[in-house]
Amino acid sequence: MHNGSGLIIENAGKTFRAGGRDPRVALEGVSLHLPPGRVGVLLGPSGCGKSTLLRMVAGLEEPTTGALSLNGRPVTGPGRDRGMVFQSYTSFPWLTVRQNVAYGLKITGDSSSLREGAVEHFIQAVRLEDVADAYPHELSGGMRQRVAIARTLANHPELLLMDEPFGALDPETRWQMQELLLGIVRKERTTVLLVSHDIEEALYLGDVVFFLSSHPGRLREVIRPDFKKEVPAGDREALLDHPQYRRLDMHIRRLMSEEGTTRASPVAEAADRG
Amino acid sequence: MTASLRDSITTGDAPARPPAPALKRRWLDFGQHLDWRRRVLLGLTGWLLFVFGWYLAAHAGLASERLFPGPVAVMRALTDLFVEQGFLGDVLSSIRRILISFSLAVAIALPLGLLMGAFARIDGLLNPLLGAFRYLPAPAFIPLLLMWLGTGDSQKIALLLIGVVFFLAIMLADVTRQVPAAFIETAKTLGGGRRVVLWTVVFRHSLPGYLDTCRQMLAVSWTYLVIAEIVAATDGIGAMMMRAKRFVHVDDIMAGIVTIGLLGLAFDALFRLVYRWRFPYLRGEHQR
Repeated sequence: MHNGSGLIIENAGKTFRAGGRDPRVALEGVSLHLPPGRVGVLLGPSGCGKSTLLRMVAGLEEPTTGALSLNGRPVTGPGRDRGMVFQSYTSFPWLTVRQNVAYGLKITGDSSSLREGAVEHFIQAVRLEDVADAYPHELSGGMRQRVAIARTLANHPELLLMDEPFGALDPETRWQMQELLLGIVRKERTTVLLVSHDIEEALYLGDVVFFLSSHPGRLREVIRPDFKKEVPAGDREALLDHPQYRRLDMHIRRLMSEEGTTRASPVAEAADRG
Repeated sequence: MTASLRDSITTGDAPARPPAPALKRRWLDFGQHLDWRRRVLLGLTGWLLFVFGWYLAAHAGLASERLFPGPVAVMRALTDLFVEQGFLGDVLSSIRRILISFSLAVAIALPLGLLMGAFARIDGLLNPLLGAFRYLPAPAFIPLLLMWLGTGDSQKIALLLIGVVFFLAIMLADVTRQVPAAFIETAKTLGGGRRVVLWTVVFRHSLPGYLDTCRQMLAVSWTYLVIAEIVAATDGIGAMMMRAKRFVHVDDIMAGIVTIGLLGLAFDALFRLVYRWRFPYLRGEHQR
């Protein structure tokens, strides 16, 4: 399925120039590699440009510098190979759950996937069989997000992009969704790049965590929670109990608070002067 | 439950249990929702109050019955118009003018509104132009249209078109702009090209809003109809009213006004029906 190269980001940078004002550097010199079949998490404080980076991979945002490629092909715009799930609910309100999940296959004319039952397969994978003919407004937030995930996966993307997909959900639902996602991703061997600001989510889902610093966004550290091989897959309690988890959690918290103090420094300086 | 009910019935003099504290209910409150029965009832009440007030005013002797007839006289005139004076033909001509001109207006304004709402460059090109035309009063075009198109139907249809089309295009563009960016971006990352996104997301998302805008602009169309039919027309509701004025048949004029009101109401109801039927997923979200 993949030719082995995965997602490669080289020296990506983004500078926003809003008319008249000083240009704002959102990202600078980010290089990273996500091998096929892995779950990568972009983690960092707000303002670190993690969403911008994800949107660049999706082809929705043009990089100011650098280059991105997926499985050897340069990213030149949005495409079916990089399906994206957003934080806001994007299931189309005028389509039923089943029609939503089939949408990508319909518009790309992928009749063979439609025939082979990709739609039903992924409706079952996200456990929405009972509401397949309901409209999104009849569903809860978690269910709507499952529709979006099934719709994207039914389209067979080479890379699944997720921008804080569970950020708007309550904690209980968020945990269930994370477990559901992890189960599907392991089974389908999907490559995932997910944006998060939640340390637990990052360590629970990620095979590799890219920690970005803010102002401007730079790749500060690549964290590989390899100890996860020692705990049963998807077992949250065993994971949280693992000494290595607690060590990494503390480490990332420290990184986060360092980012916080660097950002607060102008205020502190102003206070000193005053 | 039943036991306590029996108790309270048989032992009437027993001290009543303190009633469960109920929320204070008020006849007027914010955020109330009415079922359709109450809606119809209230709507009819409004109408009855209006007709009753009209009746009182007409029979209070403020003006002669000839200049200010009451509801009964106007209803009699209306029946008379339909039964003896072939008013149905006038009504049908007016409806035909409305339908032709409004269809033309939608055929022109919808593509413009869709493209303006979807693409900033097209909006930049057309919005200042249409925005200016919108401020020109359509009746000001009547002398021009009379010279260009004569006194026939095409002149009237052109006036109705001019009165509506610029507003319609700009309002439809506003509706189009309401599409959430995340919907468009989702469709793009699912492999949708520009044309696919335009039709399956932008247009489809806007459809209910388009219908609603058309419903509102159709009411404006009826306003221009009377103006169009007052000038050099031989048939139509407006023409009948001008004829009636010549003979001081005030009851006929009022019957014409009532007819337009009823037709407007009927078209409005038709739009609502289509809305409910075509957009079941919006039920409960938009109570208009």
